[in-house]
Amino acid sequence: MDNDTIVVIGAGPAGLSAAHEAVKLQRHAIVLEKRDKVGGLARTENYRGYSLDIGGHRFFTKVEEVNRLWRRILGQEFLRRPRLSRIYYNRRFFYYPLRPLNALIGLGFWSSLRIVASYVRWQLFPHSREETFEQWVTNRFGKRLFRTFFKTYTEKVWGISCAELRAEWAAQRIRGLSLKTALVSMFLTPKKTIKTLIEEFEYPRLGPGMMWQAVKEEVERQGSQVRLNCEVVGIRRSGKRIESLTLSNRGHDEVVQGAVFVSSMPLREFFQKLDPPPPAIVAQAAERLQYRDLIVVCLIVRKPDLFPDNWIYIHDPTVKVGRIQNYKNWSPDMVPDGAKTSLGLEYFCSRGDALWSMADSALVELGKQEVARIGLAEIADIEDGCVLRASEAYPVYDAEYRAHLALVREFIDGLENFHTIGRNGLHRYNNQDHAMLTGMLAARNLILGEHHDLWKVNTEPEYQEEALVEGDAVLRALEQALARVFTKLDRTALGLSLGTVSAVVLFAATLLVVVKGGDVVGPNLQLLRHYFPGYAVTFSGSFVGLAYGFGSGFIGGWIFAALRNAALFLYLARIHRKAQRRLLRRFFDYL
Amino acid sequence: MADNDANLEQVILTRVVRLNAKIQGIVTGLVAGLGLFVATNWLVLKGGKYVGLHLSLLGQFFIGYRVTFLGSLVGFGYAFVCGFVLGYSVAWLYNWFADLRQAK
Repeated sequence: MDNDTIVVIGAGPAGLSAAHEAVKLQRHAIVLEKRDKVGGLARTENYRGYSLDIGGHRFFTKVEEVNRLWRRILGQEFLRRPRLSRIYYNRRFFYYPLRPLNALIGLGFWSSLRIVASYVRWQLFPHSREETFEQWVTNRFGKRLFRTFFKTYTEKVWGISCAELRAEWAAQRIRGLSLKTALVSMFLTPKKTIKTLIEEFEYPRLGPGMMWQAVKEEVERQGSQVRLNCEVVGIRRSGKRIESLTLSNRGHDEVVQGAVFVSSMPLREFFQKLDPPPPAIVAQAAERLQYRDLIVVCLIVRKPDLFPDNWIYIHDPTVKVGRIQNYKNWSPDMVPDGAKTSLGLEYFCSRGDALWSMADSALVELGKQEVARIGLAEIADIEDGCVLRASEAYPVYDAEYRAHLALVREFIDGLENFHTIGRNGLHRYNNQDHAMLTGMLAARNLILGEHHDLWKVNTEPEYQEEALVEGDAVLRALEQALARVFTKLDRTALGLSLGTVSAVVLFAATLLVVVKGGDVVGPNLQLLRHYFPGYAVTFSGSFVGLAYGFGSGFIGGWIFAALRNAALFLYLARIHRKAQRRLLRRFFDYL
Repeated sequence: MADNDANLEQVILTRVVRLNAKIQGIVTGLVAGLGLFVATNWLVLKGGKYVGLHLSLLGQFFIGYRVTFLGSLVGFGYAFVCGFVLGYSVAWLYNWFADLRQAK
């Protein structure tokens, strides 16, 4: 069996997709999951019949293969839901994505005026260097708007000051930074579709876990195994091959062998379990990869309707909660009793910090207090609560992660029968669909010998939701066209060519008139002397004309090319900037 | 996808455009031809004692050209050919110089 068995660590979207693909390719798969349910970070927890989604998972993808799989697996169980997500700040709610008019009205006249003044000030005198997130956003929106709508929430999510968060991170989250996005979005603006994607989303009736449970059952129907409560405690390596895994299943150790292996466990954990360990430099690099953890405090409230949003971003610095999910608004079936509402209060933290160390009961109490302080519910109406913890929920893109990841990647790429996949396996902020794609491609690489580069499967959901709703073929054609249209003119080459042609024309015209002869030779052509001193309609003058023609043609061509290039780049810079601002309005979707 | 983006940016920021000589020739020819056709007929329609005194000087280079309606058709032909040759030459030379510079 082990000759063609693919062993997958982790039954999240990436791992289950790898197993699903393997089964499709007639291979036997064993999926090992340490928890008691499938779905990984996209699992749906259940508490007293209430379905709880960790983080809120909208289903949207431009990966057609993923889309087909979702639809085939769940079919009618997929709901199309209206989206409303607002920002809570200073005891007011602001629409999100930000609507300038709503923001200005909500902030009041004087605050708005100061924001506009701040915007103008930073447009005129921006930070000369954009090294930090704070500088990056300030240069685009002004300091006041940054403080109002970006600072607090970003710091809650990442736990570090925006003055320390590198600008590069923001650039990675905003795909609009790419010139391509800006250009493409300028030409492809299917507004109706964009509106639909922003204002609606698809969601399984009982949460994302429903999808992964269905995939699990399909994999098992084909004779493969998805084993729950199986934690991989050791990964046995022999040279450049993974030989076997050691499992701990409810206290019993077991060795699982296979032909090829796929892992979605966090890279740090993978290297800790690798035996023999990798070179020290690789192990150290893996150790330095950072993660952000998530606590979800779920509250059950005796009220049928609390607020219309699917989720609310809490920018208020007086509370610790970062985002509040209203599960009922994701799907009415997430709540067993229509007279009640379940909320998920998300606290971003780091394992071992004060929040993470709090007892569940204290966290529930904290959640109650904060929900009441915000004014979303009365403490008396909250009848129950529970706590969910998701460790390593977000890979952190700190200043050093690229260097560490490069070392780690080099080692992993050297393993012949192994791939890492998924958000934590690649230390990349992949959404569900991209995590799935890495799983599918890994299976194809290992089984069919294909050569997909999983590290290149990228996130960039903003672009997809914003503009990439046309077919890939259209985009490719457009990209080629853009590369032709927006490339520079070579100033010198245009100067030389125009100079040469002008010189030849003036030379030939003069000679022609001279050869033709007559009483008065070329009286009109002579007028060029006003501009070209020394020029005459004579044989020798034709050579002077040749030189003048070349000189003036060269200057004309060079200036034309320079101006055309300058205008082109100003135009590109403008649409680039515009695209950035547009995407920044929906920045928190990408956190 | 990120690489594609980088490629496009790289292309736009570093490469220089190549001109299609035929298209440039045709466009320049059409602009010149239509320009002369319209300019000639404008003067013809305007009329007067001396019709197109200066424009008729083009007859020195374009044998058979006159400031008349028939002449405007002849002028269109001449101007188109000249424009085509000039446009084609400029584009061809531009590409040649650009290749030469890039090769360096």
